[in-house]
Amino acid sequence: MVSKKAKWIAPVALASLVGLTACGGGASDSKGSGGAAADDTGPVTFSLFSADSNPNWNGMKDDVGKVITEKTGVTLNAEYAIGGDTQKVSLMIASGEYPDLIMPKGDTSKLVEAGALVDLTDLIDKYAPNIKALYANDMNRLKYSKDDQSIYILPTYTGVGQTSFDAGGGFELQLEVLKELGYPEIRTLDDYEKALKDYYAKNPTINGQPTIPLSLNADDWHIMIGVTNPAFLATGLPDNGEFYINPETYEAKLHYKRPEEKEYFRWLNKMNSEGLLDKETFTQKRDQYLAKISSGRVLGTINQEWDYSEAENALKGSSDPTMQNRIYGHFPVTLSDQYKDHSFMDVGFPGGYGIGITTNLDENQRIRAIKFLDWLASDEGQVLNNWGVEGKQYNVENGKRVIPKDIQDRKTNDNATFTKETGIGQYTLMSPHYGDGMKDKTDNYYTTNFPEQIQSAYTQPEKDALKKYNATTWKDLFPKADELGTSAWGAAYNLPAPNDPSYTVAFQKAQDVVRKRIPEAILATPDKFDAIYDGMLQELNSADIVEMENIFSQQIKNTVELWGTGK
Amino acid sequence: METLTPGGTSNKSPGAPAAEADVGKRFKKQSFWRTALQQKYLYFMSLPFIIWAFVFSYLPLWGWTMAFQDFKPAKPFLDQKWVGFKHFVELFSDDRFYLALRNTLAMSVMSLVVGFIVPIIFAVLLNELRGMMFKRFVQTVSYLPHFVSWVVVAGIVTKMLSTQGGAINDLLVGLHIINEPIQFMAKGNWFWYIVTASDVWKEMGWNTIIYLAAITGIDQEQYEAARVDGANRYRQMWHITLPGIRTTISVLFIMAIGHLMQIGFEKQFLLGNNLVQEYSQVLELYALQYGLQMNRFSYGTAISIFNSVVSVILLFTVNGIFKRVSKESIM
Amino acid sequence: MAAPKAFNATRGDKVFDVVNIVIMSLVLIVTLYPFLNVLAISLNESADTVKGGITIVPRVFTFENYQQIFQYEGLVRGLWVSILRTVVGTLFGLASASMLAYVLSRPDFQARKFTSIFLVVTMYVSGGMIPIYILFRDLDLLGTFWVYVLPGVVSAFNVIVIRSFMDGLPYALQESAKLDGANDFTIFWRIILPLCKPVLATIALFLAVGQWNSWFDSYLYNGRHPEWTTLQFELMKVLQSTQQGGSGQMINANDMAQKMAQISPESIKMAITIVVTVPILIVYPFLQKYFVSGMTLGAVKS
Repeated sequence: MVSKKAKWIAPVALASLVGLTACGGGASDSKGSGGAAADDTGPVTFSLFSADSNPNWNGMKDDVGKVITEKTGVTLNAEYAIGGDTQKVSLMIASGEYPDLIMPKGDTSKLVEAGALVDLTDLIDKYAPNIKALYANDMNRLKYSKDDQSIYILPTYTGVGQTSFDAGGGFELQLEVLKELGYPEIRTLDDYEKALKDYYAKNPTINGQPTIPLSLNADDWHIMIGVTNPAFLATGLPDNGEFYINPETYEAKLHYKRPEEKEYFRWLNKMNSEGLLDKETFTQKRDQYLAKISSGRVLGTINQEWDYSEAENALKGSSDPTMQNRIYGHFPVTLSDQYKDHSFMDVGFPGGYGIGITTNLDENQRIRAIKFLDWLASDEGQVLNNWGVEGKQYNVENGKRVIPKDIQDRKTNDNATFTKETGIGQYTLMSPHYGDGMKDKTDNYYTTNFPEQIQSAYTQPEKDALKKYNATTWKDLFPKADELGTSAWGAAYNLPAPNDPSYTVAFQKAQDVVRKRIPEAILATPDKFDAIYDGMLQELNSADIVEMENIFSQQIKNTVELWGTGK
Repeated sequence: METLTPGGTSNKSPGAPAAEADVGKRFKKQSFWRTALQQKYLYFMSLPFIIWAFVFSYLPLWGWTMAFQDFKPAKPFLDQKWVGFKHFVELFSDDRFYLALRNTLAMSVMSLVVGFIVPIIFAVLLNELRGMMFKRFVQTVSYLPHFVSWVVVAGIVTKMLSTQGGAINDLLVGLHIINEPIQFMAKGNWFWYIVTASDVWKEMGWNTIIYLAAITGIDQEQYEAARVDGANRYRQMWHITLPGIRTTISVLFIMAIGHLMQIGFEKQFLLGNNLVQEYSQVLELYALQYGLQMNRFSYGTAISIFNSVVSVILLFTVNGIFKRVSKESIM
Repeated sequence: MAAPKAFNATRGDKVFDVVNIVIMSLVLIVTLYPFLNVLAISLNESADTVKGGITIVPRVFTFENYQQIFQYEGLVRGLWVSILRTVVGTLFGLASASMLAYVLSRPDFQARKFTSIFLVVTMYVSGGMIPIYILFRDLDLLGTFWVYVLPGVVSAFNVIVIRSFMDGLPYALQESAKLDGANDFTIFWRIILPLCKPVLATIALFLAVGQWNSWFDSYLYNGRHPEWTTLQFELMKVLQSTQQGGSGQMINANDMAQKMAQISPESIKMAITIVVTVPILIVYPFLQKYFVSGMTLGAVKS
C-alpha cells in the first residue's frame, strides 16, 4: 500500500510530458483577519495547496519563514499532495472549496474552467512592481491562451534567466573507456559504437563479471528519457516532448515520424543484434539498471544524469581508483556530423508551472496576497529564500555573499535537516524568482549555484578527462546556445496540453503504441525491423492521432501569436 | 448434502434445516406485525446498520448519473449536459477495452483457481502439524509477505527471473533443463502465470487465516471419534476438516466470483513492462488511464458501472447455482 | 487425494508428518525470504544498496535509514492517531459485523432475505470518489477523526464470513436458551459470541490491518488538518521526499541530482515497511491463539 500511489501516478503524468499531474485542496479553514485592509502588514493566514510533495514543510517555523512572516505578516497554512495525486483538485472543484493560494501544476486548465482562479493582470500592474520587473518582457508568456488572455499563474518553477552550467544528458561513456582508448573524439553514433566495441573486445569481463557494452533504462516512463527522447536529440532537435514542430509552419507531428529517427532506432536494433545492447534493457526494473551501473561493468548508457546519479555516487565513493574511473562523461552524440545536439538551445523563458490566487479571497485579500508574492519576488525576498538570514547562514565579505564553511558542510551532508531548520529553498518554488547565473544590483548571484561550484564538485577522474578534451565542464563539449537559434514557442512540453478528450485520448493511445512497438522493433532481427517500424507508423497515422497532432499544431500557432514571437 | 463422518456428527448441525422448516410453518400463522414485535431485538441489532449502509453505500450512487452526462466538475447537477449512452457506446467500441477485459478475466480466473485452492490445502496441512510452536511460527511467517508492498515483491520476482544471475534460470540451466536462460519477463504468454504465482506467494498465508479460523470451529470430538474408528490422517482431513470448512469455502468462493472484474492493477503494473503490455493491461488501469487521468469522469464512471453490473450478475448467478446445488449461499 | 488403502495407520501417519514438516519448512523459507530481504536492505547503507545483491544479510550495517525516517516531526502524533483509529475502527467494525451476522444467521428473521441482498450488493457497487467526498462534506466528516471510522463500519464481507461461522454452530444451543426465556440479544451476547472467538479474532485482524495500513483517506479528507493525520500518511510524505525524481518538472538537473543523492528511496521504502509491520507482529500472537488451536464444542454443548 505504501508505495501504490507514488509508483504509478508520477510515471503516468510524466509520460504524457504535459503534466496531467494534479493537485487539490480542502476547505479553506483559517483566514485570519478577513477584513484586514489591503495595505497593512498585520497578521493574516493564507491557505495554500501545492500539487508537489514536501515533507520538510514545518509551518514556517524555520528561520526564513519567520522573517517572511515578520516582514509581510503572512503565515501560510500549506498542504502538499502526495505522489502527484490527481484526485484532490477534482474534489476541490466538485465541492467548490478552494485554498487561498494554489500551485496546481498541470491542473490549471481544470481550475480555469471552473472559474476558480483570479486574473492577476491588474493586480500585478497596480500592486506588484517586483513581479512586473522580474517577468518584464516575458509578461506575454504568462497569458493563459489566445482566447483568454488573463494571467492566472505566475510561473515559479523556472527561474527567470536560468542558465545550466553543466551537461547532465547526451550519450554517456565510462571515463575508463575513454582513458584506455586514448580519449578519442566522440561525436557520432559510429564513434560511440566504435569506442564501446573496441573496449569490449579487449575487456570481455570486468571484475570477473561479463562486460555490458550498452544498457538503457526503459522501466515504465523512463523509456522516454533513456530510449525515445535520445532519438530526437541525436537527430538535431530540441526537446519538445513527443512532438516535432516545424519551425516555419508550426505544424506538429509525433517525432517518431521523422525518417532520420527511424535510422536512430535502426542503430539500436543493430546494437542489439550484435550483442552490444543489454538483453535485459526492456525487462529490467530501475534498481537492476542502477545495480549494473554501480557494478562498473556498463560501458555506456544514454540517459540523464539525475536518473542514474545514485549509482554513480556509489562508484565515486568506492575505494578502488579504477571503479572511481567508471563514472560517465557526457557527449553530444548525433546520428552523423551533419546534426547538432540541441540540448542547450535558448528557448527563452519557458513559463510553466507556478502559483495562483483563487476566488476564495475577496478583493482586499487578493491585494494582500499579490503583495505577499511581490515581496517574495523582491531582491530582499529572493536573497532570503536562496541564501538565508545574513549573519546566520551567510556573511557579506567585501561586498560578496559568502557561505561559511561549517554551514556549507551541513548543507551538503545533512540537507534534509538543514532545509527544515533554515527554510532555505523551502519557499523558492512558490516565489517568482531569477534563476542560476543571474546577478543582483550588488553583483552577487541570486542563487547559490554558480559555475565555480560545479567545477569544484567534479571528482579528480572527471577533471582529468575533461582536461584531455580541453574543457572545464561537460557542457563545453556541446554546441553553444548561439549556434542553435531560438524557439518561437519555448519548449512544447511546458505548454498547457489541450484538455479536449479528442487530444488526450489519442495522445495516450499514441503512447501505448510507441511504448509497445519501439522495444519490439529494437529487439527484432534486423530484417524484420522495417516491417515493425513501418507498422508502428501506420498505427500512428490513424485518423484520431492525426487529429490530435492538428490540435497541438493549433495550440503552437496560438502560442506564437499570443507571445508575439512569430516570424 | 451432509457428509457424515464415521462415528462423528457433521459440523453443520443437522438440526438447522429442520428447525428452519418448523419455524417457518409456525410463523405463517402469525401476523407480520406480531412477528416483527417478537423479533424486535433482531431489528434493533440490524436496522441501524442498514440505514448506515444506505447512507454510505447507496446515497453516493447518484454519482452514476455522471456516466450519462458530459460531466464537468464545476457545474451544478442541473446544468450538466445529458448524453444518454454515449460513453457506453464509446467504451464498447474501443479495442483496448476488450483487450483489458480479456486480461482481467484471464488473470482473475487463474488466481481464483490457484489462489483459492492453495490456501485451503495450506490451511489443512498446517492444521495437521503436531508441534504447536512450529505451527504458530510457520503460520506467522507465511502471512508476512502480505505486508511487503508489491513494489518490493515485483523487484524480487524480476531479479529471480533475470537472465543474468537470476535464481530460476541458474537452476534450470544448472539442471540442464534448458541450454539458454529464458527471458521470462519479456514473454507475454508467461505474464499471466508470473502474476498468478507471485500473487499466491504473497497472499497464500494471509488467505489461510480465514480457513484456520473455520477449522477451529470444528468440534474436536469428531476427530476423537474418527481416531477411535481407526481413520487415518488422510481420512480425517478428507472427511472431517474439509467438510467442516465447506461452508466457508463456498461463501468465499461466491464472493470472489463477484470480484472477478475487480482485481486491481498494481501487481500487473509493477510486474509488467513495455514488452508484455498486451497481456498486462487490465480494466482498472485502463479506467484510470483513459478515465480519471484525463478528467473523463463520465467515461470512468461508465466503466465502473459496467464492472458493477457484471459483478452483480455473476454474483447472483453463482449464488443461485450454489443455493440449488449445495444449499450454501450468501443471500 | 483418495483415501489410501493398504497403509498401516500409524506408519502412514508418521510418513505424513515427515512429508508435512518438509513441505511446511519449504513454505517457511519461501515466505520468509521477502521479509528478511526487506529487513536486510533497511539495515544496509543506502549508497551500498544501489549496487544490488543484498539478500538476507546487510552488507554495510547501519541504522541511518531509520534515523532518516524518525527525524520527521509528526510521526509520534501520527502514531497515536493510527492507534486510535485502529482500536475504534476495529471495535465498531466488530460490533456491527457480529450483530448483523447473528441476525442473518437466524432463519426465522423476517427481513433476512432483504437484509442480506441489501448488504451484499454494497460490496460490488460504488458511487465513485466525488459523490462520496460531497457526502462526507455534507455530513461534516471532513477534517475529523470520524471520517476514518464511520464510513467503514458496515462491511458485508465481514458479516458474511462471521455468519458462515455461526451457521456451523448447533442451532439447538439457541433453542434451549430461548425456552429458558432469554431474549435474542442475550442469546447473541451470552451464547453465540463466546463461541465465535476464532472468527472474531480473524475479522478483528482484517479490520485492524485495514485501518492501520490506510493512508489515502487521511490524505484525501484530512490533509489540511495535521492534528488528525495518521502515521502511514506521515510516512508516505517521508517516502515522497525521496521520490521526487519522476513527478516534478525537471528544470534544474543539479537540484534533482542533489535531492536524489541524499538517500535512495529503496532504503527508505524498506525501513518504512518494517516500521509499519512491527506493531502488527507484536499484536499478532494475541489474536493468533484464537485461530491456530482447535476448540471443543462439546464442552459448551451441554
